[in-house]
Amino acid sequence: MLFWFIAIAVTAIACAALYYAAAGRMVNATGPDSQPANNHFRLVLAGIDADLANGKLGEPEAVAAKGELAREMLRQQAEVDAKAKPKAEIGRGTIAAFLGAVAVLSLVTYWMLGSPELPSQPLAGRTQASAQDIDLPAAIARIEKQLTVTPDDLRGWSVIAPVYLQTGKYPEAEHAYRRIIELGGGNADIQTALAETLMLQSNGSAAGEALTLLQSAAASDPTHVLSRLYIAAELTRSAQYDDAVKAWDAALALSKGDEPWVTAANEGRAVALNNGVVPAGTPTPTSDAIASMVAGLAARLDTQGGSIEEWTQLVRAYVVLKDLTKAQAAYDDALKAYPKTFDRGDLDAVALEAGLKGATP
Amino acid sequence: MSIELGHFALILAFAIATVSTVGGYMFWRSGERISLFLSQGAVLQFVLVAASFAALIQAFVTSDFSLKLAADNSHSLKPLIFKISGVWGNHEGSMVLWVMILVAFGAMVAAFGRRLPSDLLSLVLATQSMLVAAFAGFTLFTSNPFARMIPPPLEGADLNPVLQDIGLAIHPPLLYAGYVGFSICFSFAIGALISGRIDQAWARWVRPWAVLSWMFLTLGISMGSYWASYELGWGGWWFWDPVENASFMPWLAGTALLHSALVMEKRNALKIWTVFLSIITFSLSLLGTFLVRSGILTSIHTFASDPTRGLVILALLALIIGGAFVLFAMRASALRTGGLFAPVSREGALILNNLFLATAMGAVLVGTLYPLLLDAIAGTTISVGAPFFNLTFAALMVPLLIVLPFGPMLAWKRADVLGAAQRLIGAAALAIFLTILISALGGISISLAPLGLLLGFWVAFGAVAELIDRSKLGRIPPAESWRRLVGLPRSAYSTAIAHFGIGIAVLGIVATTAWETELVTTLNPGETAQLSGYTIAFDKSSQVQGPNYIADQGDFTITAPGGGTRTMVAQRRTYVASGIPTTEAAIGTYGFSQLYLQLGEPLKDTHVVRIWHKPYITLIWLGALLMAGAGALSLTDRRQRIGAPRRAIKAMPEPAE
Repeated sequence: MLFWFIAIAVTAIACAALYYAAAGRMVNATGPDSQPANNHFRLVLAGIDADLANGKLGEPEAVAAKGELAREMLRQQAEVDAKAKPKAEIGRGTIAAFLGAVAVLSLVTYWMLGSPELPSQPLAGRTQASAQDIDLPAAIARIEKQLTVTPDDLRGWSVIAPVYLQTGKYPEAEHAYRRIIELGGGNADIQTALAETLMLQSNGSAAGEALTLLQSAAASDPTHVLSRLYIAAELTRSAQYDDAVKAWDAALALSKGDEPWVTAANEGRAVALNNGVVPAGTPTPTSDAIASMVAGLAARLDTQGGSIEEWTQLVRAYVVLKDLTKAQAAYDDALKAYPKTFDRGDLDAVALEAGLKGATP
Repeated sequence: MSIELGHFALILAFAIATVSTVGGYMFWRSGERISLFLSQGAVLQFVLVAASFAALIQAFVTSDFSLKLAADNSHSLKPLIFKISGVWGNHEGSMVLWVMILVAFGAMVAAFGRRLPSDLLSLVLATQSMLVAAFAGFTLFTSNPFARMIPPPLEGADLNPVLQDIGLAIHPPLLYAGYVGFSICFSFAIGALISGRIDQAWARWVRPWAVLSWMFLTLGISMGSYWASYELGWGGWWFWDPVENASFMPWLAGTALLHSALVMEKRNALKIWTVFLSIITFSLSLLGTFLVRSGILTSIHTFASDPTRGLVILALLALIIGGAFVLFAMRASALRTGGLFAPVSREGALILNNLFLATAMGAVLVGTLYPLLLDAIAGTTISVGAPFFNLTFAALMVPLLIVLPFGPMLAWKRADVLGAAQRLIGAAALAIFLTILISALGGISISLAPLGLLLGFWVAFGAVAELIDRSKLGRIPPAESWRRLVGLPRSAYSTAIAHFGIGIAVLGIVATTAWETELVTTLNPGETAQLSGYTIAFDKSSQVQGPNYIADQGDFTITAPGGGTRTMVAQRRTYVASGIPTTEAAIGTYGFSQLYLQLGEPLKDTHVVRIWHKPYITLIWLGALLMAGAGALSLTDRRQRIGAPRRAIKAMPEPAE
């Protein structure tokens, strides 16, 4: 409220200043328009004489210049005489209308763009404040209270259920998720979350209802990953290794290859394949894989060119692979692509360290 | 609340500008009342935008990260100066700076323009308000600097480390003052076209603004060049980078404008051309803003690579520039041509100057835009590099510089070339002598360098020759000659100093291009390297901690060829918040030359060190400073003082008749 008070006051002051500048004083309607022009002609005339004295203007040219000046003066005088009397000065009503427009435009624009209720929060003033400015328990209590009044509020249950789950209130979470499903908000995610709640209450076992829920979730959404992962983990845990391998495969079939869970799924699959024993030595990319990656990069840089970082990567890779001939060749190509030292960034340093022959400075 | 009040102040300024635009264009004929309204509006716009800018600065200084702009671009550990300059080290904040300089110029017109005819004043201020409304509106609606972030993050994301430099406090404000200053010339041109009032007096009003903006632009460009040369670690001073070209084109056009406005003011000629140049110069400033901001060019200046913003700027650009040219096309034919002159005359020389500058500007424009257009239309990426610009630009500048010393020697209307040439013989002889001397001492092989030196000396001495000639040195007693020299108007001095500055810059360019040496080597602490007679000893390598960065530091001792040692410190910094590394080169200035040392990537047991010797490189920036100083001097000339023709009369000799 204080903000709006100040904003309106500022607008009023600005409008008052505008009003008194324009309408508040007497205006001489027949402005001395020709006065500055005459001054100007005097200046030009003086300039011609000064130039003549300095030899910047020849005698006949000075006469011609004065002639031009005289003609210009006459022309302008005629123009001033011929010019119709200037239109009437704008009235105070028009100015008032302008001011109204200023006030409306500024206040409406601010109302659209601004956040008048937000205070400034300089760092010094909020040393105690943490990212959690919201009082979480109070918020939960408020929602709970509301849900006792309107127990059919699907949105309320949807908000509060994950909070219960995250804060470890599993029975409450279970109740909330069941309410959501009863109220018709069930889907693969909700079913999986309820299964997760049940599992957390029974030390990770998904036997019974949890597994049914997960299977139902997986069946209802053919692209649902999380439910399939839980099923595979449950099958592995309960030593049904053949089914577990199939389940891991089903989950992995949904991956694009770079999701964070793929590693874990691969490990789980390996465990299931190995009949529940963690296999020794997890697979690492072979040097063949590195070589093929380097070859791919080299081919691409060769045909399409690339950034200096890519060239540096290529040279560095050859150096690591101890293939100095190819490293030198790649460095030479990079020098051709980036002839300026400045453009080459750290490449020269890498090459220098590996003992490659560089560009002659 | 200060943030929201600042937000409101910017919006109120936008509202006043919008209403001023409409009111000004509707009622410009109606006399004094509307011009008083617009003047007051211009002053209020300035006060309000300054207040909103102050609110931004306050939020940055107090690390108020509830302002999204501060959270994105500041950090509580940053030194105070970088907290302040960080306000415009980003897209949104720099737009506010742009608008702030725009309204500052508008307020100056309102303050100094009381003697302007009220219809012209109204039109100028209405046009200025239109620009303010357009750019403040763009800022508010597409890139609002006052957007909030609730809850505020505990710490800001820090400013790009390359920008954490005193250069950010200097280069952008100067450059913007140059860009935006030309908006006044633009507004005067629009006013002239609408009102049909275009005469010598118009040129007299416009020229100080052109000089002022040109001065700022010269400083802004040269400071940008110096900053890039020491901060970006490339050691070059000009790369024909599209971003550099974007600022150079308005400079070329502005330089042409200065000279053509002179002809118009003195001889009432070149009127249409001067109006055209006023429009072109500001259009190029806008184009520069567009190119740099739209994300079309990727560089340190690309704050916003958001295509919608680019499109909005493009639309504004098309509207403002297109509108101006349509107006020009409709009205230019109605303008009368003025004074007559022979081809060989001061006017003719200034036209030649304009011709070459405009062509050079065109060449830079083509070289900058052609790759962009080709990329946009055909999808082919080509690069127009330094060789194109060096060739075309030099080809245009050489003849310009050759005839430059003649210009001030020529008389108005009809001149005697032979007489001017005779008065320049001394300068020519001195230039040839010095060039031969330097070439002989330096043992130069066959190259273009001696020709470049000759050109630089010729321009520099030619500028001095004009002063000597006007003081009649050697033709009258020395005391009287001295009296004449001191009594010369400041405009004569400013012309001579500006032209001398060009000569100096040319010398610097030639020398550093021809004789620069470079060495990339590995050094261990305790080892030394040699370059161009300098001995560089690497004393020690250490880790140091700055306020918001940690750095690898190399301490060097340099022994100059003439003896004398000094220590220099080069760093590789890594900024804590962003993890971005920067190179802080060590620069030693010896006379006009510089030794430039850069610490490269640390290797296992050694350091890569790059060393450049750049002979006479500081002459380039010194030349630019001289030019800008000359601009300042000419502004103090009483005959030119903004809006003060009446006082000036007393200083003038009384007309003979």
